[in-house]
Amino acid sequence: MLDTIFNSVIRFATEYNEHFSNGMAYLGAGIAVIGGLGPGIGQGFAAGKAAEAVGRQPEAQSKILVTTLVTQAVAETTGLYGLVIAILLIFAR
Amino acid sequence: MQFDLIGPISPAVFSTLVIIAILSVIFIIAGLWVKKLDPAKTPKGFMFIMITIVDFFNKFLGGYIPDKKRFSFFAPYLFTIIIFLAVANVSSLFGLTAPLSNIGVAMSFSIMTFIMLRITEFKFISIKDKLNSLIGPVKVLAPIMIPINLIGEFSTPFSMGLRLFVNLLSGAIIASIVYGLLGWFGGLFAGVLLHAVFDIFFGLVQAFVFFMLSTVSLSMASEA
Repeated sequence: MLDTIFNSVIRFATEYNEHFSNGMAYLGAGIAVIGGLGPGIGQGFAAGKAAEAVGRQPEAQSKILVTTLVTQAVAETTGLYGLVIAILLIFAR
Repeated sequence: MQFDLIGPISPAVFSTLVIIAILSVIFIIAGLWVKKLDPAKTPKGFMFIMITIVDFFNKFLGGYIPDKKRFSFFAPYLFTIIIFLAVANVSSLFGLTAPLSNIGVAMSFSIMTFIMLRITEFKFISIKDKLNSLIGPVKVLAPIMIPINLIGEFSTPFSMGLRLFVNLLSGAIIASIVYGLLGWFGGLFAGVLLHAVFDIFFGLVQAFVFFMLSTVSLSMASEA
């Protein structure tokens, strides 16, 4: 079963080589940016906690803001890797 | 693919050179001028702005690096980094290409960070301490931990440079897509929002984040 699917995919790929690889690259770019989900959730969580912390200690707002920015930038990195892969797939083939 | 050793300069590198020239003229003038100032008087105009910036920076950084010796070693580097990045990231407002949207410029920042981290380690901690931190607390796991820690030594500067690059590049791509869709008339209105968000806000935030991460990783490297 798997073998026949694989063989048909390969035959498809050889027949429509250029269009197939273009389409697969765009599909892969789309799948790669799904990785943006994780940083979105994580950053939202960090922002919510920061808002809680400001509500609890309004006088420490500037320090909380700085810490939040830095930690969110670190959390963002994984999403950016997905974006890099998407950009490479679309523009730099 | 063909590569020329000396090709035409890419627009990002050109704007980098322009920004470096402008900033060096401004700060050399300020540095020569500040020696002639009368300490008893309040500075005015240009010098007042410069002194305020440096003073604010020193106070801010002093909260994170209280040690005097480390502070005087890190502060000039970090000040150069944040000033250059802040100017470079908003430079597309003045018609220049954003320098950090070229991966060559961004990776040069990673290389700078890497070299600065190694210099810091040689200056502040002994080789024995560094080896101990590479091995980790458990001696038996050394064959596993040493490769992981060595990759960590390279990945910190690499991810810092890549973060700058992708943030600026994504802004540039979205801006060019919107401009291409809307034409020049719609671009007049969309440009206000696009440049306010992607150049000013994200650019300054990224400059600040790079500065803060450099501060944290440098002070960690000096204490390990």
